[in-house]
Amino acid sequence: MSISKRLQTLMERSGIRELPAHLKSGVERGLEQRIKLAVTGLSRSGKTVFISALARHLLQSDQDRSLPFFTPVAEGRITATRNLSHQAPAPFPLTETLAGLQASPPHWPDSTDALSEVRLALRYRRTSGLTRVLGEESTLYLDLIDYPGEWLLDLPMLSMSFKQWCQQQQPLFEQAPRAQLAREWRDRQQQIDWLVPASDTEFSHLCAEYRTLLQQLRKPPYSLSLLQPGRLLMPGDLANSPLLNLCPIITALPQATETADPDSLYARLERAYTAYCDQVIRPFYQDHFRHFDRQIVLVDCLKTLNHGEACFNDMQLALNSLLHSFEYGRSSLLRRLFKPKIGKVLFAATKADHVTANQHHNLDCFLQLMIDDARREMRFEQVDTRCLALSSLRSTTAAEAKLDGQHLSCLRGLRKDNGEEIALFPGEVPVALPRPQDWNSDRFRFVDFAPRPLPAGPLHPEHHIRLDQAAEYLLGDLLR
Amino acid sequence: MTDTHKWQRPVELSTDTLEPETEASQPASARDIPLEKAQTIPDQAEPDEVTTPSRQPRSKRLWFTLTGLVALAAGAELVRLLAWGFDLHPLVGSALGVVVLGLISLLGLEIRRGLKGSRQLANVRQLQAEGAALMDAPTHGHSRRWVKQLEAQYQHTPLANSLQTAISQLDSSYNDREILHYLNRHALDATDRKAQQCVQRYSIESGVLVAFSPWASFDMLLVAWRNLRMLREVATIYGLAPGLLTQWRLLKQVLQNLAFAGASEMAMDAGSALLGSSLTAGLSARAGQGLGAGLFTARTGLTAIKMCRPLPDNRQPSSQLSKIAKGIVQRLTIKQ
Repeated sequence: MSISKRLQTLMERSGIRELPAHLKSGVERGLEQRIKLAVTGLSRSGKTVFISALARHLLQSDQDRSLPFFTPVAEGRITATRNLSHQAPAPFPLTETLAGLQASPPHWPDSTDALSEVRLALRYRRTSGLTRVLGEESTLYLDLIDYPGEWLLDLPMLSMSFKQWCQQQQPLFEQAPRAQLAREWRDRQQQIDWLVPASDTEFSHLCAEYRTLLQQLRKPPYSLSLLQPGRLLMPGDLANSPLLNLCPIITALPQATETADPDSLYARLERAYTAYCDQVIRPFYQDHFRHFDRQIVLVDCLKTLNHGEACFNDMQLALNSLLHSFEYGRSSLLRRLFKPKIGKVLFAATKADHVTANQHHNLDCFLQLMIDDARREMRFEQVDTRCLALSSLRSTTAAEAKLDGQHLSCLRGLRKDNGEEIALFPGEVPVALPRPQDWNSDRFRFVDFAPRPLPAGPLHPEHHIRLDQAAEYLLGDLLR
Repeated sequence: MTDTHKWQRPVELSTDTLEPETEASQPASARDIPLEKAQTIPDQAEPDEVTTPSRQPRSKRLWFTLTGLVALAAGAELVRLLAWGFDLHPLVGSALGVVVLGLISLLGLEIRRGLKGSRQLANVRQLQAEGAALMDAPTHGHSRRWVKQLEAQYQHTPLANSLQTAISQLDSSYNDREILHYLNRHALDATDRKAQQCVQRYSIESGVLVAFSPWASFDMLLVAWRNLRMLREVATIYGLAPGLLTQWRLLKQVLQNLAFAGASEMAMDAGSALLGSSLTAGLSARAGQGLGAGLFTARTGLTAIKMCRPLPDNRQPSSQLSKIAKGIVQRLTIKQ
């Protein structure tokens, strides 16, 4: 090998080549010109649709049409927006997603199974002020990351040992509906001697059963959220990898774990857990989840109302535990350069178009109930938070019906399952936690709607609900 | 499930029973809905009427009597004048008659305009009060009446077009607060800009006039004259019928507002306008006086805008004031 070639590989390895790029992005970060927005949400909470809708609206934001509450757009200060996603290692399939929504009949995007990234560059005119001395026009780089929501639930596992994880899972599996479904599996676990050597097939069999169990719990009518590890549900590029052979011990933990045989089930599980944390979660966290500046947490409140108390409690627990994995606090200039923290968080109740407009405020209040704990902690760290009911892509139209001589506002849209047009008053969203006897009654009927076709031409404010206010809250102060 | 709940059960309707949302006012014939049982819909309570303090009837009666007496006396004098004219010569009499008729019709027109203007001004105050309450309301549907009032108020004014456009763009999902913010931002934008330009122009004018006028007492007259003209123009821009009475009412309100503006606010304004920068460095005493007069005009104008606008402006007034101050200083230093 010639010397120059060696030198080249050395340079590549040491990362010197990327140094100028790193420096540039660091300086831009410091000047708040490069923003990483964390789009957080459990699976099926609408991350992909949010990202594509926001990107689509921002890409046409120079026309001042679709985002009336986003100040820089309303003031006509955005000159142009450019999509730089191709520079990202895994670009977000924006064209494909939008094509699916523009097709006839349109369809919601499939579940995300891999990580991808949108990068947008917004060119804007500054308002007259102190920053004007830096030049009349400036550019804001906005990074949005899309990923399967299941993976997000792995993040809390990083701070736990295998033992702690099992201890956390045990009470969960003692409550309904997990307890009923997992009865057989628990009985099986009770017969196992964890410390004696076991065969490979026994081990993989145990884990395969756990995986089936998780898949059952995720589906309706249970629709649970706190299902760890997430890769078992959405393996991504790790399909059939031995790393995914993993499950918790939900019976009493064995006493003298130090004496466990290296081939015993306990030792195997503990090894698998450590390997999973080190090789799967940590790289994911370190590459993508550390350096965020702003965060939007998308929550599908209507799902919990449809599925009842167990689903609500589980989602509340899942959200509050995963939000601990992010770093919150005010960032000074230096901190922004080296170790940014999330300084502004927006909690968004998605699918606001699935309830009538007079229920949006109730949806806000219900969301506040759900994320109360996490929000309090953020406020302690002096982080700005806000709750908002939004819909990234509106699938219904408002209508009014006369019923028994009274006007009733309702929704009109196409059912997601059979494409039939319906008119529906889906019920009122409660502002306080419903009592146990109120759950599972026929109080709510939130139907999933199919999307309305998105025009290929310019979008209008009626294509979203409060997406502009979300953008204003998250980005408005950066575009001054 | 017990019947103690106040919530409403979900209903699925057949799509034929729907009415287009915009035609809510048009009565639709009742039709059978085969799907569901009887529903009770809790009425959305209308917002409480905002009561504006009514004038005391006694002082009003006094005013009426006084004006009536004055009008009677003037009428008697006019009749005597006409009789005297006809006595002198029929031609003189008819000429006088024409002049008097012209004067009376002019006066009537002015009074009508003034009454209209002051009624509009009172309406604006009411809109402001109700709007301020709605501006923080996350409720839904209460602003419909307010928007209708707004539309009626500005029907035949220069604002009607932009207001109509903005109202037609309102989305069905907006709650009351969003509707008001939307209108505040999108319907009144062009008008605000026009009014601010007007205020700026007059402030600079009066600043320059005072700086270059030779007599001190003349200054005050100048400033008063410019201010009155400005009030009239601002009122016209916001679609209020211009008239002496309107102008007088507006002036009263503005002066009241200025007098009772918090001392801190005043100090802040003065600080930001005069001391905050090196603006005043290099200004002579006369130019300083000019700047003061200009700033006074500007503050009067901005207050007048506040009075004429149906919604509170949520931008900072101090930034506008300092902008105007900069404009005046620029003009003064160029001229010197």
